[in-house]
Amino acid sequence: MIYEASQRTPLVELTPTSCLIRGECYPENISEWSEPVLKTLEECLSNDNSEFKVDIELYYFNSSSAKFLFDFFEFLEESAEGGKAITINWRYRAEDDTMQEAGEDFEEDVSACSYNMVQVESLAE
Amino acid sequence: MVKKIKSKDTVALHSFMQDRRTLFCYSGPLTEDLLTTISSPVRHQLSDKETEEVVAKRVFGVFIEQAQNIIRYSHRKTKATGDSIGTIAISIADNGFLIEAVNVVDPEKKDVLEATLVELSMKDQQELRELYKKRLREGPPEDSAGAGLGFIEMARRVKKFEFDFVESEDGALFVYRGWVS
Repeated sequence: MIYEASQRTPLVELTPTSCLIRGECYPENISEWSEPVLKTLEECLSNDNSEFKVDIELYYFNSSSAKFLFDFFEFLEESAEGGKAITINWRYRAEDDTMQEAGEDFEEDVSACSYNMVQVESLAE
Repeated sequence: MVKKIKSKDTVALHSFMQDRRTLFCYSGPLTEDLLTTISSPVRHQLSDKETEEVVAKRVFGVFIEQAQNIIRYSHRKTKATGDSIGTIAISIADNGFLIEAVNVVDPEKKDVLEATLVELSMKDQQELRELYKKRLREGPPEDSAGAGLGFIEMARRVKKFEFDFVESEDGALFVYRGWVS
């Protein structure tokens, strides 16, 4: 399932074994945008595959979207606690201390998933 | 009474905006649709080659939070559609940028807002970061009055911020000014 990026929402690509989120996130209404995404994520996680890989590369998100990301990670944690091997890669650009700090802060609440901070070179557009 | 606007007033407006080095200013009903539309020109104004990208992103971040504060919490609405009225501007100031926002505040929420901003103004970056995390985990306080994550987010992105409450015909105006460099 692919949710195309818009001016205010990131690209989301979900498969039975992976999730990619890339772009910017400051939608008009975060719940409206995130509900179907989280629902699809739930479907993707509810299969017999033992592994799931998550790549997140955000360049900007607003404070309302932070809550979505928090819920998103919590959801992945629950699934990991249930036995799925989940790897999360938080990708940020070297000079982007805001996104680096955000990634570090989310990492604090993650323990069942394997969480990596991945520095990337440049904006992948 | 509405003053008749003469040609010299139009010139004065132009000169005023140029002299104070305002890159962008909007005053009137603000909606999420309008914010989507103005995001691109605001970005464009900030993407000057001399401006570091991280600075431009911080300015944009504060601009978005302020605009959404006006949309959600301005106490003055248009009669026909109920859209929130406010003013938002980005100017060049002190080797960086000044982001300004003004809206009529709900008199019942003024005290909570004031207390929250006083509290935030006394915190250093690390404390703000911790508070942001705490608020994210615990959710907004009972009566957030716009005092949830948004103001913490802005406090983290600015070098300094000032706020004020000014009486006007429409009620108390909430004035927020944040400097980014």
